[in-house]
Amino acid sequence: MIKVIDPGLYSSIQDNGRFGYRNIGVPYSGFMDNESAGLANKIIGNKESQSLIEITLMGPTLLFNNDYTLSITGGDFSSLINNDKIEMYKPIHVKLGDTLKINHTKSGARCYLAISGGIDIKSILGSKSSFKGITSSYFLKKGDEIKIINNDKSNFSFNCKSVFKIDSVLHVSKGPEFCMLKKDSLDMLFNKKFTIGINNRMGYNFNEKLQVGLKSIISSPVLPGTIQLTPSGNIIVLHRDCQTSGGYNRILQLNEKSLNNLSQLKNGNKTKFKLIN
Amino acid sequence: MKYFIYSSNSILITYNSDINSDLIQVLSSLKSKIEIDYEEYLIDTVQSINSLLVVFDSNKISVDDFYIKVKSIKTGKTKNKLKSKIWEVPVCYDPSYASDLEEFSKSKNLSKQDVIKIHKSKVYDIMSMGFLPGFMYLGNTDNRLYCERKPRPSLNIKKGSIGLALNQTCIYPQDSPGGWHIIGSSPINFFDLKYKSPCFAKPADKIKFIEISKSRYESIKKNKSIKPNSQII
Repeated sequence: MIKVIDPGLYSSIQDNGRFGYRNIGVPYSGFMDNESAGLANKIIGNKESQSLIEITLMGPTLLFNNDYTLSITGGDFSSLINNDKIEMYKPIHVKLGDTLKINHTKSGARCYLAISGGIDIKSILGSKSSFKGITSSYFLKKGDEIKIINNDKSNFSFNCKSVFKIDSVLHVSKGPEFCMLKKDSLDMLFNKKFTIGINNRMGYNFNEKLQVGLKSIISSPVLPGTIQLTPSGNIIVLHRDCQTSGGYNRILQLNEKSLNNLSQLKNGNKTKFKLIN
Repeated sequence: MKYFIYSSNSILITYNSDINSDLIQVLSSLKSKIEIDYEEYLIDTVQSINSLLVVFDSNKISVDDFYIKVKSIKTGKTKNKLKSKIWEVPVCYDPSYASDLEEFSKSKNLSKQDVIKIHKSKVYDIMSMGFLPGFMYLGNTDNRLYCERKPRPSLNIKKGSIGLALNQTCIYPQDSPGGWHIIGSSPINFFDLKYKSPCFAKPADKIKFIEISKSRYESIKKNKSIKPNSQII
């Protein structure tokens, strides 16, 4: 069992997501940065899709009530076990009574804490990912006790070099309503920089406005990575917790790699959109 | 009809025809054909009001190959109509559950009784589900009930609330902020994780609202596991 001494800014249990229920309005949820999360699991011999703890901007303090093997990947968060600095992208063995403190980020927005065996909670609609309205708790709170699945025979032979890199270029393809954009909007979209504004697991806003006055469309399916343009000219990139349908024009679609990358960018970071085929 | 590669693992099929019960049936039948023929590749099929999004596993098939497969499916109304159900959903229109009924009626120059009568007199299609798990978009409402969304969304609409916006009516399956005009409430569960299928209804089914009294509302509410009556059409 792992006890939450301090939950950090926003830490939640996630796996690779809840699939097959979008038709009744259930979002995918799951790891924001799939690549980093998958590596955290692989390093300690878990399946890449195994449940773990996703950490945002400022990390938690956790107390271990058993011996575990863990790994941390993703954004560069300095982490200490009982005041000793630990390395990321490596299996770390901890003992009963050890405390892990994950500080705030030096680069990137999210890191992933995987524990060998994975998290022992009930799977709901095929997934352990936290989501309000589906799971009873949807972020870690002080005093929470996280159970871990017992795992004696894991192998830690996977040798991993950190491949973590943040890219300011977001790769997009055309969305169904791309043709609604005027020439000067297109020029702006692919030549100007856009600044990340308010964001969360549902979506990312940008500070700059694009074309104003596009009429809403009939409520239609959307996916994580769908880039919407609101009638008032705001650009929204939908992310893992996004709802299943929406009435804004779907001008672009972010690819999976850039969706992972976006989840590591922060409020105020500048980005550029690049159209790919 | 238009086929569009939406992402590296999804294809969007959009119909340009008028929105009516027939279109919902066509989409629903296309959805089940894809689900039967290409089950091995599928992750999700999402039906909305005039389109269908098919999400597949791109480790199993390339987007170009899947595009060809989906496009080759013959569409149109099937002779054997899909089995859909009409669900009888109890609604209480008492002012204590209908925070916007009075203002809404005034704005439409109708009496509250008229609004209730018009609302419950129609059988609605479930055109789509989304926004929240189990949130139903039902249409189309009578023209006399047409309205824009509220300029300011309410911060806390209660679970079970029945709303009106544009030419649709909806049911809130959980507490949520929202911009629809609330004219009543249903005491039953619309999204229940106790069941393998958390929603009793699905897109292309139909909903008929049955007016109930406040006391009936309270007594149904106490009996938590109640499911609405249905008939196959």
